[in-house]
Amino acid sequence: MDSILNVKGLSKSYERAGHKTDAVRDVSFELREGEILGIVGSSGSGKSTLLRLICGLEAPDEGHIYLDGRELPIKRSIADKREMQMIFQDPAASFHPRRTIASSIGDAFWSLMGRGAALDLDTLCLEVGLSPELAQRYPRSLSGGQCQRFAIARAIASSPRVLLCDEITSALDVSSQAQILSLLSDLRNEKSMSMIFVSHDLAVVSTLCDRIIVMRGGVVEEGKTEEIISAPQSEYTKELIASVMEI
Amino acid sequence: MNDNTILFLEGLCAGYGSGDVISDISFSLGRGESLCIVGQSGCGKSTLLKAVLGIFDLPKITGGDIVFDSQRLSELPPKRRAELVSSGMGLIFQTPGAAFNPIRSYKKQFIETLKSHGKYDKNTFLPSVRDVFARLGLEEHERILASCPYEMSGGMNQRIALALVMLMQQELLLADEPTSALDAATQRTVADELISMRTDGLSQLIVTHDLALAAYIADRIAVMHRGKIVELAPARELLDAPLHSYTKALLKTAPRLGGELPAAAENSEAYSGLLTELSPGHFVLMEVQHGQYTER
Repeated sequence: MDSILNVKGLSKSYERAGHKTDAVRDVSFELREGEILGIVGSSGSGKSTLLRLICGLEAPDEGHIYLDGRELPIKRSIADKREMQMIFQDPAASFHPRRTIASSIGDAFWSLMGRGAALDLDTLCLEVGLSPELAQRYPRSLSGGQCQRFAIARAIASSPRVLLCDEITSALDVSSQAQILSLLSDLRNEKSMSMIFVSHDLAVVSTLCDRIIVMRGGVVEEGKTEEIISAPQSEYTKELIASVMEI
Repeated sequence: MNDNTILFLEGLCAGYGSGDVISDISFSLGRGESLCIVGQSGCGKSTLLKAVLGIFDLPKITGGDIVFDSQRLSELPPKRRAELVSSGMGLIFQTPGAAFNPIRSYKKQFIETLKSHGKYDKNTFLPSVRDVFARLGLEEHERILASCPYEMSGGMNQRIALALVMLMQQELLLADEPTSALDAATQRTVADELISMRTDGLSQLIVTHDLALAAYIADRIAVMHRGKIVELAPARELLDAPLHSYTKALLKTAPRLGGELPAAAENSEAYSGLLTELSPGHFVLMEVQHGQYTER
């Protein structure tokens, strides 16, 4: 598989009350075409910050991000934004509460594709397994799982090549979670979309992802999913695996 | 119900005004026992917990009864009921930080809470806190007491909320998704603490959608779907040999470490019938068809 996204030496720190904290420390990795890459770690390990840096929501202190070999600038162009879309943890909070889902999806789509672009909302809804009528509702009248599927619909509307998923199943029950995981798997298989799937839930990551990066500020360990799960090398990864409660 | 029963629900129905959200809920909880209620979002798990606690305006109980510590709550005057519930039941929420005032020290909030329940003793307060914190593995109790909740992580706030329940010396802990907002390592820590508190005799009624948590901490598990319990059994028995079709489908949706992608089944079917004991302690919702109980 060819590499689609390359991250090289990415670092980000925050300063608060004179105290400097390294959130992301010299992180480098590649994401391959059609691959789902999992990033795991405990709270505060820098997973979400890393995604925000890749998406361009925050500027790194150091490092470079390449898409198809081309370095992405800190301020992204509309064309760059079209290529890479992010989905967030809280599905309801990611939609405007006083606008219909259809209107929110339309706004996001036209801001990326231009006013004249045709949005086939019905097809988009069916792609994420929801009835198009539901898109006429407000976020508060939908379940968390439905909202998250619409968030995925909004993200894939511009046909991005890379999806960045930040704890997108953490707020959902197991049934909704299973539906979202299945949907992501279908999107990868049918559209060859590449994804970075950030989660603290190692069990969820291990069922979906091809490779896993274990983070604790920097990269602690990286490998194929089955290798990380069956033969972890670092003590931190071993602790993470040991902490998983199994049925 | 026997002498060892701390909580007994008898055909409990409750809702928010336009129909019942939970209906015909019956089970007993033994002293020192941990019962987990599992199910999808919107199945009525949290409503059940609020109905048992009864301190909120809603849900309204529309049928059945709750017996707590051998007292039938519907027969008590509201004030006596509130006293009994607040002195005997502790509640921890999904979002631990939201349970505390973020900018008021734990010490002030602990003292206020203990005083409002008539359980504050100036001479024993600090030694008691030190003892409880030590049992929960929380070091530097004076530093923690002087801190404010906004300074602490979600996991620390949840552990401190558990410490307050222990200080209140309540007999029953009600917990609404106590680990959902925490990362995996902290989830495990809080789960271990719940087990330790149960070993010390604290009865627990825990609502969660996390089947792995239920498997880890529960003595028994009840599966809820659309306001009804569809199956109730000893935890291992329910997980290893589920009988109701909904339980079987729910278990297939749970991710397992290194396992296959979980099945994405959607089940909106409503089940009816009677919770029937098919083997000792194993109850399944069954319908009567042609004079015989049968599962739909």
